Order: sequence, then C-alpha cells, then structure tokens
Amino acid sequence: MSTLRLGLRTLRREWRLPELRTLAAALLLAVAALGAVATLAARVEAALLASAAELIGGDAGISDNHALPPTVTAEAQHLALAVNRSSDFPSVAFNGTRSQLLDVRATDPAYPLRGTLQLANRAGRVYAGHGPAAGSVDLDHRALVALGLGVGDRVQIGGRELTIGAEIVREPDGGELFAIAPRALMSLADAEAAGLLGTGSRVQHRLLVAGPPTAVTQFVGWLKAHRPPDAELITPQRTQQRLRIAFDRAGAFLRLSALLSALLAGVAIALSAQRYARRKTDEIALLRALGAPRGQVRALVLVTLLGMALPALLLGALLALGLSSAAWTLARGLLPGTAGGPPLLPAAAAALAGLAVLLGFALPPLARLAEVAPVAVFRRGARQRVRALDALYLLPALVAVGLAWFESGSFRLAGILVASLAAVAMAAALLAALLLALIRRLAPGVHPALRLGLAALARRRALSLIQATALALGLTALLLLAVIAPALLDRWRTELPADTPNWFALNIQDDQRAPVTAALDGLGARKLNMLPLAVGKLASIDGMPIAQVHFHDRATRDWAEQQLRLSWSAALPPANTLVAGHWFAADPAQPQVSVEQGWAQRFGVKPGDTLGFRIGEDTFTARVTSLRKVDWTSFRVNFFLLLDPAHARALPHSWLASWYLPPGDAPALAAFNRSYGNLSLIDVNALLDRVRGIIARVTAAVRWVLGFSLLAGALVLAAALASSAAERRREAALLRTLGASSAQLRAAAATEFALLGLIAGLTAALGAAGAGAWIAASVMDLPGFVPPLPALGLTALAAALGVMLLGLAGTRRVLATSPLTLLRRG
Amino acid sequence: MTIATPLLSARDVSKALVGPEGRIDILAGIDIEVAVGASIAIVGASGSGKTTLLGLLAGLDLPSSGSIRLDGHALETLDEEARAALRRRLVGFVFQSFHLLPALTALENVMLPLELEGEPAARTRAREALQAVGLGARGGHYPYQLSGGEQQRVALARAFVHRPRLLFADEPTGNLDRRTGAGVAELLFDLNRTHATTLVLVTHDPALAGRCERILELIDGRLVAGTPA
Repeated sequence: MSTLRLGLRTLRREWRLPELRTLAAALLLAVAALGAVATLAARVEAALLASAAELIGGDAGISDNHALPPTVTAEAQHLALAVNRSSDFPSVAFNGTRSQLLDVRATDPAYPLRGTLQLANRAGRVYAGHGPAAGSVDLDHRALVALGLGVGDRVQIGGRELTIGAEIVREPDGGELFAIAPRALMSLADAEAAGLLGTGSRVQHRLLVAGPPTAVTQFVGWLKAHRPPDAELITPQRTQQRLRIAFDRAGAFLRLSALLSALLAGVAIALSAQRYARRKTDEIALLRALGAPRGQVRALVLVTLLGMALPALLLGALLALGLSSAAWTLARGLLPGTAGGPPLLPAAAAALAGLAVLLGFALPPLARLAEVAPVAVFRRGARQRVRALDALYLLPALVAVGLAWFESGSFRLAGILVASLAAVAMAAALLAALLLALIRRLAPGVHPALRLGLAALARRRALSLIQATALALGLTALLLLAVIAPALLDRWRTELPADTPNWFALNIQDDQRAPVTAALDGLGARKLNMLPLAVGKLASIDGMPIAQVHFHDRATRDWAEQQLRLSWSAALPPANTLVAGHWFAADPAQPQVSVEQGWAQRFGVKPGDTLGFRIGEDTFTARVTSLRKVDWTSFRVNFFLLLDPAHARALPHSWLASWYLPPGDAPALAAFNRSYGNLSLIDVNALLDRVRGIIARVTAAVRWVLGFSLLAGALVLAAALASSAAERRREAALLRTLGASSAQLRAAAATEFALLGLIAGLTAALGAAGAGAWIAASVMDLPGFVPPLPALGLTALAAALGVMLLGLAGTRRVLATSPLTLLRRG
Repeated sequence: MTIATPLLSARDVSKALVGPEGRIDILAGIDIEVAVGASIAIVGASGSGKTTLLGLLAGLDLPSSGSIRLDGHALETLDEEARAALRRRLVGFVFQSFHLLPALTALENVMLPLELEGEPAARTRAREALQAVGLGARGGHYPYQLSGGEQQRVALARAFVHRPRLLFADEPTGNLDRRTGAGVAELLFDLNRTHATTLVLVTHDPALAGRCERILELIDGRLVAGTPA
C-alpha cells in the first residue's frame, strides 16, 4: 500500500484526536490572525496612504519650476488616470487702494482629485467645491480680511477683474507651514490668458494624477525615467515627514502584532505535535516491528500532518478574509474608504506563513518518531537516537526569524523579537525547573490540598516545564503589545497638545521684538517663542566651493543650491539631542556650527569639518562642533544648522515668532497684522486639524488591530493549556477512585495553574519590559519610553489569576471524568 | 444466602449501555451480599462484565437499575462527591497495572490516601505501611526504579495504609510472573487477615480465586454460580 493511502487512511481514523484538532485549530487560528491582521493592516495602510493622498490632492504627481512637457499629461491620459494641472505663484491682488500679496494656485476644474476642497458661499454655508471657473476666484479668510472684501465682490489679480466666487475654508493639502501669503484659487485658463505663467515669473507647475494603484505605480515608474531634470516627484510617501513617521510606527506595530500572533500559534502547534508524537509512539513501534522502514514512517506522519493542515490553512485564509472584512465594515467610519474588496495576497501569504509555522514547530517532535525502535513493542520507550535529528530543534528558531523578517521587513525587529522571546523561554524554563526542585523540598510541609497541586506539577515535570515556557511566551507576546500600544497612542496624543503653536510670524525686525511681544501678550497669546532667522546659501564644504563638490544625487545638489535658513541659540533647543561633539562654549574664538545628523549625513559632514556660508553680502566660515538629532515630529520650528550666537548675532537677520492663540481669538490678529504690515502671519490651524484628524484615524486602526491580536493570543494560549488535559484526566480518575473530593481536585488544579501562571507572568512581565524598551527605542522610534513596571507587576499577578481561572475552567471536564476509566485501562 | 449485616450488598442490579447498535445489557439481575471480613472472588471470561460489576460495587459508577448498599448507604442515592467521601473512608484499591504516580516516590504514593483524608501523621503511617510490605528501605525510590512485584507491593501498602474496611482488587497479579504473583497474593491475603478487611477480588486466576471464601462466576452479565471455596 502506498504511503499516501496509508497516511490518508490514518488521517480518517485520527482526525478526531484532540491533539490533532488542537493542532488544526491553532493552525487555523494562526492563519486567521496573521491573515486578518495582514489584510486589515494592508487596508489600513492603503487607507492611510489615501489620507496622505488627500493631503496632496492626488495619488501621485510631479512638480517643476518649468512648464511640464505635454508628454507627461499624455502618459497619464494613456494610463487612463484622472489628471489635474495647476500652477502656484505669488501675485498681488488689488481692491482699490488696498493690496495684498497672495499665494495663488491656478488650477483646472479637476482640482482636487483626492480629498475635499471646502468652500463657503456668501451666507457662510460650507460646501465641497472644485477649482473655480474662468472669471472667478476663491480667496481665504485672511485674503478677504486684508483686502476688505466679501464673496460676490470683484478683485483685480494679474490685471484681470475677477469675481470672488467663494471663501476657501479648507484645502485638501491644508496649506504648508511656510506658505507665507494668504491663499487664492483661480482658473488655470485665466492665469494663462493673463500671462501670469510666462517665463521669468516664479511659478511652480504641478501635475497630479489619481486612479487605480497599479496605473499610478506605472505612472510613477514612467516619471522616474522620463521626468525633466529639475522636476520633483510627489508621492504620498514623500509628504509631510511627521505623518510618515506616524505611519511607519503604526505599520511597525501592526506587523509586530500579527507576527506575535503567529509565533503564539507556533507554540501551541509545538505542544500539540508533541502530544501527538507521544500518542503515536506505540503505533510507530508496531509498524517498525512489522518492517516499515524509517523513511516510510516519516512520510506517513508527514502525509497525515499535511492532510490535516491543508484544509485548516484554507479555512484560516477564508476566515481571515471574513474577519478582516467584518472589522473593516465596523471601522469604516473611522477610515476613508478605499475602492474594491479586501486584497487577497495577504491572506494567501498568511496561509503560506502558517504552513511554515506548522512545519517549523511540529516537525521537531514528529520527526523524532522515526527514532522509535522496533523493540519498543516489547520495551516501551526504546529508541534508536538519530543525532542528525537534534539539528531539527533549530527549526522553530529559524522559522521564527524568517517569519519575523518576512512580516516586519526588518532584521532588527526580527532579531530583537527572537532574542527576547528566546531569553524569556530560557528564563521561564529555568524558573520552572527551580520551582520544581523547590517543590521536592517544600512539598511535604505544605497543606495537603496544595501539596496535591504541587505534586501534580512535579508529576508532569517535562510538561510543566513546557507549559510554563509556552505560557510565558504567550503572555510576553500579549504584554509586549499591551506595553507598547499605550506608549504609541500616548505619544501620538501628546505630540500635538491642545496649545501647540498655531500661528507663526516671519520677518520681525530687531526693533519690533519688544512691541510685537507686548501686543501678542495683550491678545492673550501663549507659548510665545522667538527665534532669530538669517537666510543665506551654503558656499563651501571644507573649503571646496559648492559648485565643485561632487554630490551623490540630484536632490542633494538641489538642496545645496537652495536658500538656507540659519538660526542660533545659546542653549541646545528643546526637541534636540546632541549625538556627537559638544555644544558651543560661551564665547568661541572661531565661528561654530551645529549640524542636524541627517543633513550631515547627506552632505558627508562630520565634526571638525568647516562650512562656508554667504549671507547677504557677507561670507564666513564656521567649524562643525556638534551633530544633533532633531525630533521633527515636535511641531516646533527646527533648523538643520544652528550657529554660535557670539558670531551669528552680527549677521543680517530677522525674527520668527510662534505662539498659540485660541481659534476664537484669531479675528483680533487682523488689527495686529495691520499695525505690523511688514510681518507675514501664518495660520497653521488647518494643518494642525488635519494632522490631528489623521492621528485619530491611525490611533483607531491600532486599537482595532491590537484588540484582534489580543483575542488571537488569548485563544492560542487556551489551546496551549489544553495540552495536558489527557494526563490530567488520568490523574483525576486515580485520585477520584482513591476518594478525592472535587474541592480537593479543584484546589490542586488551582495551585498548579496559579504557580504556572505566576512563573509565566513574572518572566513575561520582565521579558515584555525588556523587549518593549528595546523595540520602543530601536524600532518604534519612541525615545524616552519607560516600561510601566508597577503595572507589569500587577499584570503578572493578574496573569497568574487568569491562568488559574482558565485552568480551572478547563478542569471542569477533567473533574467529570468517570473514575471507572482507570479500571477499564487495567 | 442472607447475612445479618452485610458490609456490601447488591440487589437486582443491572447495567445497560446504549451504543450505536442499540441497547447492550452488560449486567442483569445481580444479587450479592458480602459480610464484614468476608472474601469473595468474581471470576469470568473477558467481557463477562467483571470490571463493570467491580466499578458499580465500589461506587465508581451507578447501576441502570437495582440498589447497591455500602456500609448501610444506598450508593444510587448519593452524588459523586458523597460516594468519593465514602470511598476515601472505607475503600482501598489494587489495580492490575499498579497505577502508581510516576513522579512521586514510593513513600509519597503510599501517603496519597492519607493526605486526601487530611491525616497529619501521613508520613509516619505510610512508612509503617511500606515496612509492612517489606519495602521500608525503598521509600525514596521512584516507581521506575522498582520491579513489577515491588511496584504492586507499594500499591498494596497504599491500599491498606488508611485501614479501609473493604478492599477491591482488580487482577492484582495479572501483570506479574507466577512466582512474583504468588508472593504478592500471599501478602494481599496476609494484610487482609491482619487488618480484618473485607475483600472483593476480580481475577482470571483460579488459584487466586480459590483462596477466597466464595467464588462468584459471571457469564454474559449474569451471576450463574456461587461456589463456596
């Protein structure tokens, strides 16, 4: 008979075995958890990317200060993508004698392709609109106030009389932090007709596209190859660094939770496989005695295993799709919808990952079945040890590393996770072994009911060790997520406190500092902060003029040639940390400069090098004395380059102020603005609102996925606890026969599980604290993360209690076991 | 035969199971009375219902009909808790495959029934019981360090340690060679005499059955003969 047929026949007989069912259930759960989290995460990431697309007003695009060649539009149209063309430029608007510099966007009516342009009509009713028609212009509140106009009035821009069609309430891209002037939206046709886009004018031309992801990707690929030399790509991934950091953290967390679910299931699978192997030993001995070669035994086990696994994998993948769709439907209100059903790839990948987990964790105990000696039919336990099989115990670790890498895309996260979990496993095993040794000494002295529980732990020595380790691993995974998630959510919440500066003013002169401060104080401004600002250019690096320096890429060269904003400060500003060198001395002999580490890396600058600057007519050289790490998410004004104040003070400069003013008090700023006509006031309320909105969505997504992983983890944990049920039933039958009361059996079980839970809880709490701190610092970018030790301690106790209750719940059937089974077994 | 105050009695006891092929009568019309201090052997072919009967008599299971009284208590009126308490107080067991707990030493195994009763001097009494079966020096050994005969002697010590009034023995020599089996049987009957224990023995072995005062034979679930020894 072929091994395949024998294997399938075995499966037909054995699929009801509890351990095979546990194994299949764990596998199903692993694939479902992994697949649902991955599918949901993929959808959430897509939705977040769509959010970022809203910020841009399209899925991708290109921007250039020269007119874009018609081939770009042609290619986008060829790919059947929706196209929006626009041009940004400064222009002055007139209303009689009043004038105001505006930041004008001339666009075709397709604007915006993504997100919503909120406009208000004369009555103040807000509605979603598009780019204005020819002859019409939309102005924001600041522009209307500055020009003294309202909706329906006429205004002159670029020599053309235009009717104000609406007030701009909110643009999808929310305005840039350093957009200096109030905003106007006009028709691209009008701008072209007025000659506003001619050569010599400072125009930024932009083309955005939107459409199916594959076409967008194709278009971006085409752009990379064919873009004009100075053009810059616009993609959601490149927008707003601070948002990207939030996305990256969320993504890392989502992947981490999926990964931990899979590893948990692996532990449950290993436990079930071991139990199955124990049960199969007699049968294998018989087969071997009847002449089955070792290879056939191995093939037989494999066929049975795969026959069991394949339906579980398929069902798991289907369940993943169903669960993620259900979760998606429930969470839809929180996230912008993306078109189409769930992506199928993550679920398929999860099924493959599940197969890897199954083979990785189930093979080591099952392969050992081939070691069962034929003579074991007479002498139980006789084995012919195959040394080569020892290496198989590396398999789970390899699978764990591989999976961690596959799921996280990061060797660092994979390494940290596997190292932490291995440490936890070893600590738990060690602690359990120590406890078992102690039990031997202490047990005779304790209360008989407790003693029964202690004896139960000692009786199943190997199983106790395995269970403590498995529980510790499971709890570590759950605690790790529980420890990191609040830190992550908290971080997002505190990133933008309610009084984050929402106004900026540029161009404050030295003699205006005191009156401006007093005026703002009078208005009730809080958190007022002023920084000096000098604008110049980078002239040389280490004495070599910029024109001669070889740069790796075009972006770096562009950057080097752009205007440079410099500031200075006697003390290291908040949200900055020194990573190399030392901060400025009080009065250095030579000019000194402190450089942000990313900038330093891009330009290949290190402490000791010199940088030459040209500011106005002056040139000067400063020595790099320190490198700084800057938290760009802090929503403060930060600078790549900070000069030492002693030398910088003499440079031509103005001041930049930031403050918080409750949104209701903003109208008072109009008078302030008129008193200081030279200042540029920047309102970042809209941007802050957008960022807060997106953070709220990310937070909701993380909560959802976290809840799901916790559930998966708890279920797998319960499956792991069931692994000793058979042994437990046998023992309960004996004790019952000898007259043990159910209270005694329950007390014994409670003692046993509470101790197991305590060992697992303690090691898991310590492990989660360590791994959490490690991951927070080096993967999640959560500096200053301190694991909540008292809470973890309490959680360890709660875990002991939880395991005890779970164990007791699982013991109900054991207690109901008829003592008669013992007589039947002889 | 009617006994004035039987320690154990069964009256018109039957046991039936409903399986996939319908109702199966395992035991029917069983009547037994066992006096204090008596010894009876239940013999019969495999599948005749011996083990089921033993289970019913010991209160491990309940009959489908009929009544079993142990020390005056009608077992069918007691719940599992109460039956367990009765076993703890009155009953000792010896099994064919010993059923010693592998992770406990011989002494700890013997202590088990005393611990279930909450006996404070469990250790001392268990040690005495081990000495009584000739294994006083082996108390610290684990079951796997003992031979089959020694394991069954530990099981005997466990069965007698709490001085039960009734001992149930299920094929106590079934897993042992003839000589060792004879030794264990000798010890069993010695202890039975010393402690004046009532003995209910299930066995295939005619020689062992022959040492009991009465032999009951089960054929297809019915008690067909009560042969005096």
